[in-house]
Amino acid sequence: MEKEKKVVETNPAQEKTADQIIKENTALRDAEIKELKRKNEAELKQRLASTDSKEERKRIKEQNKVDLYNQISEIKNKYNDLLAHSLPSGANKDKRHMGMKSKRIIGNTTIYIILIIMTFIWLFPFVCILLQSFRVESTHMVGYIIPKQWGFDNYINLFTKKAFNDGGFGRWYFNTLIISIFVALIQTIIVLCMSYTLSRIRFKGRKFLMNFMLILGMFPGMLTMIILYRVLKDMGLTESHAIPGLILVYVASSGMGYYVSKGFFDTLPKSLDEAARVDGANRAQVFFKVILPLSKPIVIYTLLTAFMGPWGDYIFATYVAHHEETGMNVAVGLQNLISSEQSINANYTMFCAGGVLVAIPITILFMILQKYYVEGVTGGAVKG
Amino acid sequence: MASVKLTDVKKIYQGNVVAVHDFNLDIKDKEFIVFVGPSGCGKSTTLRMIAGLEEISEGTIEIDGVVVNDLQPKDRYISMVFQNYALYPHLTVFENMAFPLRLLRPRMPNAEIYKRVTQAAEVLGITQYLTRKPKALSGGQRQRVAIGRAMVKDCKVFLMDEPLSNLDAKLRNQMRAEIILLRKKIDTTFIYVTHDQTEAMTLGDRIVIMKDGFIMQVGSPTEVFDHPNNLFVAEFIGAPKMNIVKSQLLKEGDKYYVNPFGSKIEVGGAKGKQLLAKNVETQDILLGFRPEHVRLEQNPSASNFKVTLEVNEMMGSELHLHVVAEDGSKLIVRIPTIQLNDKEREEMVYGKELYLSFEGKVMHFFNPETEISLLSNQESPQKSDLKQDVPEE
Ligand SMILES: Nc1ncnc2c1ncn2[C@@H]1O[C@H](COP(=O)(O)OP(=O)(O)O)[C@@H](O)[C@H]1O
Ligand SMILES: [Mg+2]
Repeated sequence: MEKEKKVVETNPAQEKTADQIIKENTALRDAEIKELKRKNEAELKQRLASTDSKEERKRIKEQNKVDLYNQISEIKNKYNDLLAHSLPSGANKDKRHMGMKSKRIIGNTTIYIILIIMTFIWLFPFVCILLQSFRVESTHMVGYIIPKQWGFDNYINLFTKKAFNDGGFGRWYFNTLIISIFVALIQTIIVLCMSYTLSRIRFKGRKFLMNFMLILGMFPGMLTMIILYRVLKDMGLTESHAIPGLILVYVASSGMGYYVSKGFFDTLPKSLDEAARVDGANRAQVFFKVILPLSKPIVIYTLLTAFMGPWGDYIFATYVAHHEETGMNVAVGLQNLISSEQSINANYTMFCAGGVLVAIPITILFMILQKYYVEGVTGGAVKG
Repeated sequence: MASVKLTDVKKIYQGNVVAVHDFNLDIKDKEFIVFVGPSGCGKSTTLRMIAGLEEISEGTIEIDGVVVNDLQPKDRYISMVFQNYALYPHLTVFENMAFPLRLLRPRMPNAEIYKRVTQAAEVLGITQYLTRKPKALSGGQRQRVAIGRAMVKDCKVFLMDEPLSNLDAKLRNQMRAEIILLRKKIDTTFIYVTHDQTEAMTLGDRIVIMKDGFIMQVGSPTEVFDHPNNLFVAEFIGAPKMNIVKSQLLKEGDKYYVNPFGSKIEVGGAKGKQLLAKNVETQDILLGFRPEHVRLEQNPSASNFKVTLEVNEMMGSELHLHVVAEDGSKLIVRIPTIQLNDKEREEMVYGKELYLSFEGKVMHFFNPETEISLLSNQESPQKSDLKQDVPEE
């Protein structure tokens, strides 16, 4: 009921322009002040006439000055309030702030221009690759961006030029998918168990372990590459058997990535665990029945990051696959496509098509899960 | 339904913080025990050791005659209500209350779970909230759910850690009454932790008063109120708290007198006889008397003393008078409003001089050194330990 009334009241006001409203308001205000002054003068005269002593007259005048000032301020405030209510809502509520507003417009425009330029620079390579992937006429580099002849030939060639068993693109893609899925699942389980344990259970050496892993994590992983290659080779997990080898390596150190999820678990009250244990749950049940359902964001965050790591890995995967095409992941395989002068010329557009296909699953995953991803990163801040 | 026995239980936290010293207590089957004491005295720690949530550093805890030191909480058959409710945010009220039942092995049939949860909900008046998540409940409702979750399961001991302290005063009184009723319905062994002596007095069959990890006294509400073992208990139990003044205990023949503020008041009734039986000599004491046992006298006499009124708190049915004696010590006096006529009530303003006396039968005598009651039967070993062990803070 009340809302309707308000709308009715404000509508006519909105039909007048802000200028008109301000003018009217000022006119009314000045009239009222004039009237007040006139009355006051008359009153003052009377009061002055009623006494003879100079002292007293002076006092009355002083007093009157103060009173009058207060009364005028009151009137001004009243009209300012009125104005604030009657002006149409929105940015231009107060004309007197017009200067500030134009400043803001200039500021915003500058920011947007800069952002647009940056977006363009950032998107350009992606757009290029996308366009190249649809280019039918071959050869490596051409002097134009927009293809002259469009088609899906590159995508089709990717899958048909070389059979799955010979290590064609389909094989690489499959390899990568397998690696990423396994790593995502295993790593997530390890990371979550590790961080929950570090968050909840106090055991000897806990602090040391945490610091130790933190420091170990600061060394670049490449330092271990040679030795890892040797170990994998001795285990027979290189070249055509590279896939389990890669999974093993990616998963092996995953416990070290405990910090983000531990931070999240730390924000869940311990009394929840305790209540569940008193209610009859063992530690594992506490974790799966109480903690995990409350940790959706961090589970998804961990899954996503674990999935993406191997998805784009190149350096280590090259070593392990060596030149065996059936053991390559998609990054290595694609690079292999354009590794020589001739193959660049022949395969460049195919290479671009492959790049697009690699980006698709990650993009889709992110689009679906980005809400949780952000919640996971900001962890406790959101939980409150 | 079970007895609980704590023998020499000690809790030492990391960094040699001793939270509980040599705790000995026999809790009988179906008894309602209250741990009470100021914040940080080790009540929660003791309760959590019974629950299995804290390791027991030394000593043993038995439930139903079985040592449970190394048992997981789930194997101790206990229920517990937490101060912050600890409801599972992702489950509805129904599922919260069904949670302990769903964990039972062999599985409890769904029909039985449904029956128990709805029954408990009915008892607690939360039936209409069963489908809600805890977030959509008020503090009092959450507390009921927490209690409901604890009561659906058959348990040997029912533990509560300050279950009412997050509620506002009115709700707290209401829930206190409901816990008394609940206790009749559940009929098991209760251990209840609180820092509020009123809760302790109204709920407990026996009260365990704790300070700095030591038991100061164990007894029924009447016992600890009428016969406090030491100064701490005397001051902790009862509100407003007991007045403590320096005095002397004078033995004259077979009679005893105390002389606070230059008066001379005879120790009457049983107290005098007990003193005589113990053959207590003339000595300096701390004299304790409760605000409600003080009488207003009309005229000065040898058996009363003069004080000056500072603050008059009108509590409705009674007045709380804050007065200062001639030597500057502050006392509190509780006078039933009905004892004063209108004129006298109006005169109770700042600066009024009053003459006070008190009942000889209900005073308490404490040794100024050990702070132990002269009439205490049990030596209070904890107190003397305390003096040696705990460094001054
Ligand atoms: N996890 C802990 N580590 C170290 N000291 C603790 C721990 N928990 C409690 N304490 C100490 O033990 C003492 C008793 O605590 P607590 O049992 O919680 O007291 P209460 O419940 O009576 O208020 C306190 O001095 C407290 O500081
Ligand atoms: Mg506590």
